[in-house]
Amino acid sequence: MLRYEMIVIGAGPAGLSAATEAARSGMQVVVFDENARPGGQLFKQIHKFFGSREHQARTRGFRIGENLLKEAEEAGVKVVLNAAALGIYKNKEIAVSFGGATRGYRADCIVIATGASENMMSFKGWTLPGVMGAGAAQTLMNIQGVRPGGRILMVGSGNVGLVVSFQLLQAGCQVEAIVDAAPRVGGYGVHASKLSRTGVPFYMSHTVVEAKGSDRVESAVIAAVDERFRPVAGTEREIGADTVCIAVGLSPMGQLADNAGCEMSYLPAKGGYVPTVSEFGETSIPGIYCAGDAAGIEEASSAMIQGKICAAAACNSFGYINDEEFRERAEAYGLSLSKLRAGMFAPQNKGRTDISHTAEGYPLSGSLLQRGYISQDEIEAFPAARPGSGKGLRPVIECTQNIPCDPCQDACAQGCISVGGDITGLPTVDGDRKCTGCCMCVAACSGQAIFLVDEDCGNGSGLIGLPYEFLPLPEPGALGLALDRSGNALCGAEVVEVRKSAAMDRTAVLMMKVPAGMACAARFFRPADGRQACRGR
Amino acid sequence: MRIHEHPIIEDFKKGREIGFTLDGSPMRGYEGESVAAALKASGVTTHRYTSKLNSPRGIFCAIGRCTDCVMVIDGKPNVRTCMTPLAEGMSVQTQHGLTPRKEG
Amino acid sequence: MQRTIRTRPTLPFSPEGDDGLIVCRCEEITKGEIRRAVYDGMRSMNEVKRYLRAGMGLCQGQTCQRLVQGILSRELGLPLGETGRIRGRVPARPVILEDFGMSDGDSEGV
Repeated sequence: MLRYEMIVIGAGPAGLSAATEAARSGMQVVVFDENARPGGQLFKQIHKFFGSREHQARTRGFRIGENLLKEAEEAGVKVVLNAAALGIYKNKEIAVSFGGATRGYRADCIVIATGASENMMSFKGWTLPGVMGAGAAQTLMNIQGVRPGGRILMVGSGNVGLVVSFQLLQAGCQVEAIVDAAPRVGGYGVHASKLSRTGVPFYMSHTVVEAKGSDRVESAVIAAVDERFRPVAGTEREIGADTVCIAVGLSPMGQLADNAGCEMSYLPAKGGYVPTVSEFGETSIPGIYCAGDAAGIEEASSAMIQGKICAAAACNSFGYINDEEFRERAEAYGLSLSKLRAGMFAPQNKGRTDISHTAEGYPLSGSLLQRGYISQDEIEAFPAARPGSGKGLRPVIECTQNIPCDPCQDACAQGCISVGGDITGLPTVDGDRKCTGCCMCVAACSGQAIFLVDEDCGNGSGLIGLPYEFLPLPEPGALGLALDRSGNALCGAEVVEVRKSAAMDRTAVLMMKVPAGMACAARFFRPADGRQACRGR
Repeated sequence: MRIHEHPIIEDFKKGREIGFTLDGSPMRGYEGESVAAALKASGVTTHRYTSKLNSPRGIFCAIGRCTDCVMVIDGKPNVRTCMTPLAEGMSVQTQHGLTPRKEG
Repeated sequence: MQRTIRTRPTLPFSPEGDDGLIVCRCEEITKGEIRRAVYDGMRSMNEVKRYLRAGMGLCQGQTCQRLVQGILSRELGLPLGETGRIRGRVPARPVILEDFGMSDGDSEGV
């Protein structure tokens, strides 16, 4: 039986980070993963990540995955793919199945980083082909390059539902609607806003009651729900759709920890049954660690840090790093993690519905929570989103919730934008500093919530610079309609310039001219020639 | 169903185009992509019919966890098509209960 | 230690409109069957699993566990966390028995 100092199960963000950290400190590490490709779910994430520079904010998830793989390789980590861990036995023995046989390994320490599985909901017709997890749709379109369907109903408005809906639009699918039984949008407001302005309708306090079709989904029936989440008879509405995507949360995959004999507990804030772990991720069995979603549902950036923390602890207990070195690392990683676990969407705030104001004291947009977009009156409560008084372009920042994110302040070379030391703070715009109209803030904002606006650029026109991640990219001179935050047609519009550069990393900025007075409300462009890249409603 | 142009993803890194069979009929796909993706790209949505109720099932989780997309591959039943890379000449059969449908 | 509180439904079983809904997709077990199992004396996820095979199929309950726990929680009036869970068992993934058997010390190379 082969022996390794550290065996990591799962080559996702947590597992690879743990393996790299341990290997760099001198441990002999192997990672087993049941998939044909490493990276876990990171390679499906094509959006720009949140957080701060130290968390690789504004880098797209799959690029973070590529970096992680490169680092693991350079550190000498051995990754074995198509290898499923079947069980963990006494004395840290692991059975792994690959290549037509089951092989036994012995480890000095084990890191369980098996991730999560998607929660499902049962409704009439939910076994029909065409009903699938939102993650399945994401795998098909972003990894395999195959559209999951043509017309999609998304069930769930958490970040997974919102992010996947936007990616469906980018893949050329039509998102018919987003429904959620909760009365409030569960994910980031900025993710909801970028869908709403393309015309995707949100049905809050609604659920899917039936997927119809004989051997595949042909339509879906949604209905309003009462305060106990029961469908209300008579409110049914049939929606033409060939695909129903379910995004109603994730559950930690703790089976291997359970099987190993680790103490498990049911913690709703962590998403279900998880092994009880120390602050360094060690389970009740010394030498068995758990990191990432398997230890509690969060997101990839936190998973990477958790992986490093438990690897540092393992290195310390096997003498690869001394106590002082461990304390230093643990402190630095802990600080980095605490920055991500802050703001109104932090794990400790999960399920709270009583947050009514931002940390700065601005009232949260009720329209954003109930309909997926901010109303014109509400947006004016936010100083950074108010139209400027002076002439010329200036950033208008429609960032209205405290989320851990600050790439905008790094992006502006003129220092117009400031988030401050606490990365969950809302950005502020310094009106005295001159905006050069470089568009870097527009492209840098992971939530696509920054616009450049000139209320009056002459000749009775206003100008808006807006982020655009769809194909085909309109040509300068393209005519069409300006849509408002809710996706409704507002007025005629002309694209006068299209900005793109390597530094903008595939977020183009359309410079859109509209009649004066419309620049404070126009937030999206729909071409008139019918070659509509992104199709909401 | 295949995405030919994508605003963010430059290249889906496909293998060479190869042939395989579905219930004996010739199909095309790309080497190394999942069998499930190759079927989806050809418009095939039903992977199997269940034992008890004979109801159709297809892709559900696409990451090997739900086991709904299993089919008979090269004669072996219950193979997760979302986790199985497509190979030249592969025989893929719709699974009825636990077996392919008997001929004749 | 896992604490199991044994309670039984106080009212007699009454059918519901959606009892025909499939809950365990692998073994094709319906909501009605699971509800009846509770009235037959099954009090936890593992008992329902052994009684009906819900959660015993190929996916080992990864899809239906939460749904079955939800039904148990409603029928028994217990918090979700007190309905028990499917014990993580070997093999954690479907494996061909022949491959599972090929196990003795053959781990050279990796």
